[in-house]
Amino acid sequence: MTPIDQIMQQDHERLDQLLEQSAHAVANGTWQEAAHFLETFRHGIVDGHMEVEESTLFPAYEHQEGGEDHPLTALLRKGHQDLRVFFEEMAEAIQNQDAETFDDLLSTVQTILKQHDTKEETELYPFLGAALADHGEAAGKRILDFEAKSSS
Amino acid sequence: MSEYNGCELPEDLFYDLDYVWVRPEDDGTLTIGVTDPAQTMSGRLQKARIKKVGTHLEAGRHVATLESGKWAGGVPVPFAGEVIARNEQLLEDPHLINIDPYNDAWIARVKPDEPQHALDNVKTGVEALAALEAWIKRYGVQCMRCSE
Repeated sequence: MTPIDQIMQQDHERLDQLLEQSAHAVANGTWQEAAHFLETFRHGIVDGHMEVEESTLFPAYEHQEGGEDHPLTALLRKGHQDLRVFFEEMAEAIQNQDAETFDDLLSTVQTILKQHDTKEETELYPFLGAALADHGEAAGKRILDFEAKSSS
Repeated sequence: MSEYNGCELPEDLFYDLDYVWVRPEDDGTLTIGVTDPAQTMSGRLQKARIKKVGTHLEAGRHVATLESGKWAGGVPVPFAGEVIARNEQLLEDPHLINIDPYNDAWIARVKPDEPQHALDNVKTGVEALAALEAWIKRYGVQCMRCSE
């Protein structure tokens, strides 16, 4: 089984590609395709990636580090909250066929994701194997199953 | 004016207990900006985008997005309403937020859809200050504001 930190990092890369595909479709004016890719991205990141982090990975890390009010997970949860709103705004921009607004939002979201993902990959994921009783096997399986369903 | 770890926290404002302050105006509109600890966390701001006048926003949507070299994020409105003014100066010079977050660097003025409920999701007074001090402590923020 691939370690949980590698699975999560690979999921970041897969999601980045979906967002890029949506941006590419917006640039080409193929709005239906853009909406499809954005929704696939949103579903993958919100209902898959973030859900696994918030329900399993963050609590395990917080438990190991001694409390719920940990600055790292508080910041990451806040990032998720912001991103969910941005994804809704991006979907609206596509619905309105408003490339200018979409590009502005994309620039901000990509900056947030870059910083957010780096923080997770350097400060959180490397410590999950030790923080989770099964070394992250169940959480990793959930992500891999979610990826498989998304691509089928 | 309260101060904690060098962060100024005006007692007469309302706060979403995260990044945003809200000031009720005499005409029933509400002015929105970001707090001193939030501007410190964000670093030197290099880009600001603010929704156009006339834009209607649901509660929780972003009235602005801000970016520094190390941070990017949205400024959510705590209530639904219409943008009736925005601070054009910030579009040219977003760094002003790092200098004067509570006065010259206000972000937008919004007319709430339901004035009687506009402040339902924000706090003021002792409760707000205690929560903001906990926020500052959690993130280990030591405020500093640029003079220019």
